[in-house]
This record gives sequence, C-alpha cells and structure tokens, in this order.
Amino acid sequence: MLKKLIWNDVKQNKLMSAATVFFMAISAALLALTVLLCSNLLGAISTLMDSAIVPDFIQMHTGAVDDAALTRFSESREEVQDWQICHFLNLDNSNVALDGQSLIDSAQDNGLCVQGKRFDFLLGMDGTCPEVLPGEVYVPICYRDRYGLAAGSTMTIEGQTLTVAGFIRDAQMNSMMASSKRFLVSAADYALLRDQGEEEYLIEFLLRDGVDMNVFQTAYTASGLPANGPTITRPLVRMMNALSDGTMIFVIFLMSIIMLLISMLCIHFILSLQMERDRKEVGMLKALGIGRKEIRRLYFAKYLLFSLCGAFIGLGMAAILQKPLARQLQELYGTADQGGLKIFATLLAALLAEGIILLSIRHSLKKTDKISALDAMFQAQKAGKGYGKVLLIGFVTAACTFLMLVPQNLYNTVSSPKFVTYMGIGSAEIRIDIRQIKDIDSMTAQIAAALGKDPQVRKYTVLQTCSYPAALPDGGTVNLTVEAGDHSIFPVSFSAGTLPMNENEIALSSLNAEELKLSVGDTLDLNVNGKKSSYAVCGIYSDITNGGKTAKIHNRPDTAPVIWNVLYASLEESTDRQQWMARYRGMGVDVTDIEGYVRDTYAQTLAQLRLASRVAVGIAVLVTAVVLTLFLKLIVERERYAISLRKALGFTSETIKRTYFVKGLLPAVSGIVVGLTLGNLCGESLCGMVLKSFGADSFRFVINWGQVMAGIPIVILGVAILAVWAGISQIGQIKAYECCRGKE
Amino acid sequence: MDKLLRVENLNKDKILHQVSFEMKQGEMLAVMGPSGSGKSTLLYNVSGMDQPTGGKVWLGDTEITGLSEDAKADLRLHQMGFIFQQMNMIANLNILDNILLPVMQANKGKGGKSKSELMAEAKRRMRQLSISELGSRQITQVSGGQLQRACICRSIMNEPEILFADEPTGALNKSAAEEVVAELLKLNREGMSILIVTHDSKVASTCDRIMYLLDGRIRGELKLGKPGNSMEKQREERVNRWLMDMGW
Repeated sequence: MLKKLIWNDVKQNKLMSAATVFFMAISAALLALTVLLCSNLLGAISTLMDSAIVPDFIQMHTGAVDDAALTRFSESREEVQDWQICHFLNLDNSNVALDGQSLIDSAQDNGLCVQGKRFDFLLGMDGTCPEVLPGEVYVPICYRDRYGLAAGSTMTIEGQTLTVAGFIRDAQMNSMMASSKRFLVSAADYALLRDQGEEEYLIEFLLRDGVDMNVFQTAYTASGLPANGPTITRPLVRMMNALSDGTMIFVIFLMSIIMLLISMLCIHFILSLQMERDRKEVGMLKALGIGRKEIRRLYFAKYLLFSLCGAFIGLGMAAILQKPLARQLQELYGTADQGGLKIFATLLAALLAEGIILLSIRHSLKKTDKISALDAMFQAQKAGKGYGKVLLIGFVTAACTFLMLVPQNLYNTVSSPKFVTYMGIGSAEIRIDIRQIKDIDSMTAQIAAALGKDPQVRKYTVLQTCSYPAALPDGGTVNLTVEAGDHSIFPVSFSAGTLPMNENEIALSSLNAEELKLSVGDTLDLNVNGKKSSYAVCGIYSDITNGGKTAKIHNRPDTAPVIWNVLYASLEESTDRQQWMARYRGMGVDVTDIEGYVRDTYAQTLAQLRLASRVAVGIAVLVTAVVLTLFLKLIVERERYAISLRKALGFTSETIKRTYFVKGLLPAVSGIVVGLTLGNLCGESLCGMVLKSFGADSFRFVINWGQVMAGIPIVILGVAILAVWAGISQIGQIKAYECCRGKE
Repeated sequence: MDKLLRVENLNKDKILHQVSFEMKQGEMLAVMGPSGSGKSTLLYNVSGMDQPTGGKVWLGDTEITGLSEDAKADLRLHQMGFIFQQMNMIANLNILDNILLPVMQANKGKGGKSKSELMAEAKRRMRQLSISELGSRQITQVSGGQLQRACICRSIMNEPEILFADEPTGALNKSAAEEVVAELLKLNREGMSILIVTHDSKVASTCDRIMYLLDGRIRGELKLGKPGNSMEKQREERVNRWLMDMGW
C-alpha cells in the first residue's frame, strides 16, 4: 500500500518529485565532492610525504657548514633518528632554459640536487626513486605543463645541455608556494656544474615520534649550529602543499553549505505546497483514525526514497566532477593509497547531506499534526499571505549571487598585485633579490645607488634580512628571521598595530606572534652580538614567506652578515618594464616583476580557483533557473482558480502574466542586492577565516567593482528573467471556465 | 438495548449549547435542523474529530472527551466508521486500495489479519454493496452513488460499533441517494448503530429517531421506531408534519 501511494504520488507530481531529487542530488554531490577532493589531497600529500620520507626539521643555510659540530649535536640528542645534509646548487635563472625557454622570469629559486641518501627522496611519477644517469635531468612536475616538456626535452645550464629523462614529485617543494624548485641530476653532473651556481644546504633531521619541535628548535639554535636561512618543519611542508589545492576545496565546501541551505528551504517549500494541496486527504485520513505518526511516516517514506535516489545520483555527479578537478592534484601529488577509507568518507558525506535534509523534512512534517480531521470536511485552503515564497525566491537568488561572487572575489584577490601585501611582501612593482653572492652588502649598495640615480624609478627601499636568536616565553631561544629597513615606503598589510618606525620597535608576522605568545605592546628580547636588546612589538602582519615566521625592524642593529637583501621599487608609468628589468638583471641580480611573481607563486591556486569559480557560476545559474521556474510554476498552479476567475472577469493573459512577472522578479532583484552585500562583507570574513590559518590574517577582498556591480547581477538577473518567464508561461493555458467548476 | 453513546451538556464555542442525548446499541438516529444549526459540529464533537469546549461524551465506557488526539484517532480507527458528503478518498489509490487503507492500518502488527485475508474480506463486502467490479477503478472513474457505496464499504471494514454519516446523500442524485439509504438501512438491520446528519426528510424518516437542532440546542425529538416494509409513505408524511411544527 505504501509503495503504491508513493509511486502514484511520484507519477502525479513529476515536477515536484524531480525537483526534490535534484536538490537532494546536488547537495549530496557537492558535500561528497568536498570530502572526495579533501581525502584525495590530504591522502596523496601524506602518501607522497611518507614515501619521500620528508624530514621533520629542515634548516636552510647559506655559508660554511661544520659537519663535525652537526654530528656531535645529532649524537647528543636522543630525539634525532637520522640526519643528513642535502646540497642544493642554486642556479642563476637567466642562465637556465627548458626546451629553449629561459627561466629568467621565474620567481622561483631553481637549483640542482642529487638524490637523498637515506631520506628526503625525489620521486618519479611511478612513486619510485629514479636512477639518474649522467647527462640526464629529472624536472619538477609543476614545470611539465608550464613549459610543455616531455621526456627527451632539454635543459640548458650556461651552454651545457641535459636531457629530460622524466619528471619528479618533490614532497618538500612541490607547491609553487615553496620558493625553490629542485632538479634531480647525477652526482657526476652536479660536480660538473658546481661552478654554475651558489651552493646552499638543507640540514635535515628525522625525529622520533612525539618530539616537541619547539624544544628541538631551541636546542638547535642554542648550539650555535648553521642557521643562516629559514627553518622549515614537516607540518609547514604539509600546509604549503595543501594550500594551493585547499583553496579550491574550500570554495567547493562553501558551495556545498550554501547549496544544502538552498535545498532545505526549497524542499521545505515544496513540502508545504504539497501539504496544502493534500490538506483534505490528510484530514480525511485523520477522520478515519489514521494516527499523526502514521501520516508523517507516509510522507517521510517518500522523501526517504527520494533521498536515496538523490544520494545515488549525487555520488555519481561527484565521481564525474572530481576527475577534472582532481587532475592537477593527482599530477602534483600522485594518488592516495586509501581507497576504502576514501569511498567510506565520500559515502558518509553524501549520507550526511541527505541526513541533514531529512531532518529538516522531519521537522517540517510536524505541520501535518496541525491539519485537523475537520479539514476533510471543509474545502477552503488556508490562505497564506505569500511572504514565504517571496522570501524564498529572494533567499535563493541571494545565495546564488553569493555563490558566484565569493569565489570570483577570492580569485580577483589572489590574482591582484595587492594580494602579496597580505602575504608579507611590500606593495611594490619590482622586487630585486640579492642572494647567494660573495658580497651581498656591496652589491646591495651598488644597486641602491643605481636606483637612486635612475629617473625611471619613482621610489625604492632596501630591506636587509638577518637572523637573530629570540627569547621564548619558556626561557628557550628560537632563531628569528628579521627584515630591517624602511617599511613605510612599500608597507605590507597589518592586522594589528603599525609598522616599525623607531629603533626599538619590532613588527611580527602573525605566526610568529602566535608562537611567541606576543601581542602589540609586549616586549621581545633579541640576542644581538651576545647582548640582549629589547624591542616593543608595534604591529602584527600577515606573512607566508619564509615559513610565515618573520619580523620587521626599522634599522639593522649591528654589522652581522645579512642572509639576503631585497630591494623593492616602483617605476614611472612611462617605463618599459621589461627593458628596465633586463638592464638590472645585467648587473647580476634577480629582478622580479611582482605581478609575475604572483602569477608564478599562485599559478596553481589561481588555476584551481578559476575552475572552482566556473563550477560555482554553473551551479548558481542552474539553481537559479531551476528554483525560479519551479516556484513560479507551483505558485501559478496553486493560484490556478484565482487566475481563471480573473480571466472570466475579463483580464487578459498578458495582464495577469505581468503581475506574476513582477511578483517573481521583485524578490529576485532584492535577493541579488542582498547577495552582493553579503558576498562582499561576510564572504571576506569567511575566506579570511581560512587564510588566517595560513598566516594571512589581515586579508581583505580586492573587489573588481565592474564585475560585482555589472557582470554578476546581469548574469543572475538574466537567468531570473528567463526562469520567471518560463515559470509563468502556463498562465496562457489556463481557461476562463475552469473557475466555474469549483476549486476541486 | 444498551446505551452506546452518551452526550452530556456538550458545548462548542457559540455553536452548541448544553446538548445532551443518548443513543442505544443498534439504533439509527437522525439529526436534522436548518443550515447553521450546529448539526455537523455536533457530529464532529461527538465522534472525537473536534474537541468540545464543555461537556462530556462517552462511547460505551470510554469518555472520548478526555482522550488524547492519538487515542481518539485510535478509537475512530477501531470503533467508529465515517461516511462524508464529499465521499473523500485518496486520489492516488484505486477503489479497492482506498477501502483497504484503514483496515490495513488497524491490522498492523502482531495478531492482525494477513493482507490476503483483508483482501478477501474487502471483496466480500464489496460484493454485498454491489461494487465488486469497481475495485481496480480510479475514484474519478465511478459514479457518485458507487463512490459513496465504496465509502460505506470502507467505513465498515473495521466492524465499528457506530457509523457516523454526515449528509451521506447530500451530493447524490435521487436514485443514487436511494441506493445509499438502502445500504445504510441494511447495515442497521444487521445491528450497526448509525448517527446520520441530514437535510433530507426522506432519509430521516428511515431512522428510529430524529432529533431537531436549532441554534445549537435540541428543540425536539421524534421517535419513529424501526421502519416496516409498507409504512414508508406514512412515516415520511409524519416526519414532514413534525418538521413543519418545528419551524422547518
């Protein structure tokens, strides 16, 4: 009987049933897709990091290395399981070409290395350590598509050619956000090319399980071991890897939450309409003595069946959608070996989406309790004021506008040159890096002098980076990378306080402030040349460079050697930027166009965000079209009697259509306005919450007002107009005589 | 005869005022009165479909007015049968399924009859009501008289103690109305107690007793006794005279 009731109801209400399944399917698809991509990403990163045996603690260092001191330190520390020094030959990008394409514009530090002896392996595409023969090179996988490389392509370093034998996944530096890229060569070629670059060291430690990283880092710093460079930990490597694709997953997660809300509301609306229509029958069932629970069960059984169909279709959709979305992810990180768990988690996500919807349906079904047995006797429908449907149309268009706007704003923000200021880089046009050369200071002075005299340079600043031990609250010390100079010329974005203007002031990156447990107004002690110097914390800023743990002061307090220097400049508008950059590169320094740097660093993230925002646009357009058409159809069907009566009284179809068109479109327009407002305000906080965990806590949307005020509203409005028109088209088919037959 | 239904000082808003009456087992009682007199309201309140604002109603030893909504629903399912003027049925089900709907619900769980037993019972009842060939038809594919007979069939499937009929012939033509009244009479002769709300003096004249309701109060009562085979015309005339006396 139950089966018959459900099946007959579905047959008679195909549109409502299809719409319900559609909402359930799309909600399940998006949540399942989030989990699928998330488990793919995290699983693949974990698998890659485990296979490559990524070290727990890495100290990058430029300068001499005392092997004996490192051996003594490692042997004295119980927590050290293994350690090694990995050599990295940092090449001059202007001397490197891949298949004839120069790396001169690359913002990355490209260098050579040989395969790790015991850990930190660079893995081939099949997950094994490739055997590199002399004359061969394995290229980071992220360069394959960018430079159109294949096995047999060539890499030229200062006239010497290596053949690309394959591609590698570097668990440590795979992400474009990691500023270095390692090319794998044979030991013989490394020795041969030794003079073509500056050698850097990665001092790597594998630690035993459960070791407190801070304690180890403090001990390392206290031992006075090589520390001329940033420190990187395994969690940071994982975070860098997760960040580029994680942003896309976040956008999809955001979509799935919004879609779930839309679905719950739409299904609630459909259910309300159905209950209104079934009022007499429900009343009759009650009059016959069928209990309230039984009546709820009758409805619930139908929706349970719909939700099973929805979950099934949703899982299929997720499986189809994940292929293009996970392509980059799989290329960079490989596949995760956690099939069963992934399938279980995905299934659980789809069921969770359906479960949430079913719970809301169960709640809505309590309305049937209010239908009395007397409703079977009285024909009159309870006339509502119609605020519900108006609000719902408004809400759906608002949510769809929000859905289109937030990923687009996020994309615009990440692709904007201003974005780097949230990430710890000054708001300049040009960045000149002076690293890995014999005399950094004199080269810096030479370039600064040239910039000072250059009429094409509007303004510039020199920032020197040194490393000082800082006192931890627990009495230990940690090496702090400190950038000294005038930060007011190209300021970064501060989430609290201001930039350092005086000698005893220091600004901290948010990750450093958190780790050192300091806020604006507190004092930090630095060990400068063996003497304690106190600094007042004047500001906290976002930074993801150098592991996100940096600090800024106004003046360098001593003549201790700098690790590197960076000069920022902005040029006069008439300047030919490429020509200008070529001129300075000729002076032997790395010159980067900041826009190019952003393109380079966030290329993966931007590509994924672009894809995610296209999916968001597709879903928003589809949902707006389906919801508005469906609702208008349902509203017209519900008011069929009143429409017929108006026709009988002499109203034309066009006049009636116009009324319904306005009724449908007005809430849609209001929804667009609300969606734009919320998208620009709340969307920023939402994205900020995620980016904050990566150290970018002063995040602000960079809004493309043309797109926001024209593009998105026009698209949604266009879809809304078409959908409303399609929804009310059946008004023309309603006959004037229908009202004479009565409401039944 | 034993008392089956007892109504004491029943009030409902401003519609019913201090209505009291009793109904015996096997009795067929008609409630008449002009439109707006409170006839249907009385039926809804007596049957537990609506909650009175005062007074008490007993079905046998059970006080209906003190029961919860679910308990009242259970009572309606097992001990009462209903026939409505509009012949309410589920549009998605055919005639047979509609007839089976309440009886299947009543037989759910342990000790209930099996589906095949219920099906056989439904077909037997349908034969008695001369609608056996209509089982597979949709409710829109049968006449009003046939549909009301299907409703009667549905109402007696659970072998109720009392049948409530709200204007059962109100939406039917003359011949269909006569068929329905004949079926109700037949049921009453078999021992079914029936409370009918009606406008039709002809229907009322077939009952044992008629109560006249005006402005929510019982204004008069006419005892007719069980109808014989040849006294039909005289009963109807007697009822009409009485109704005229009541101001009908």
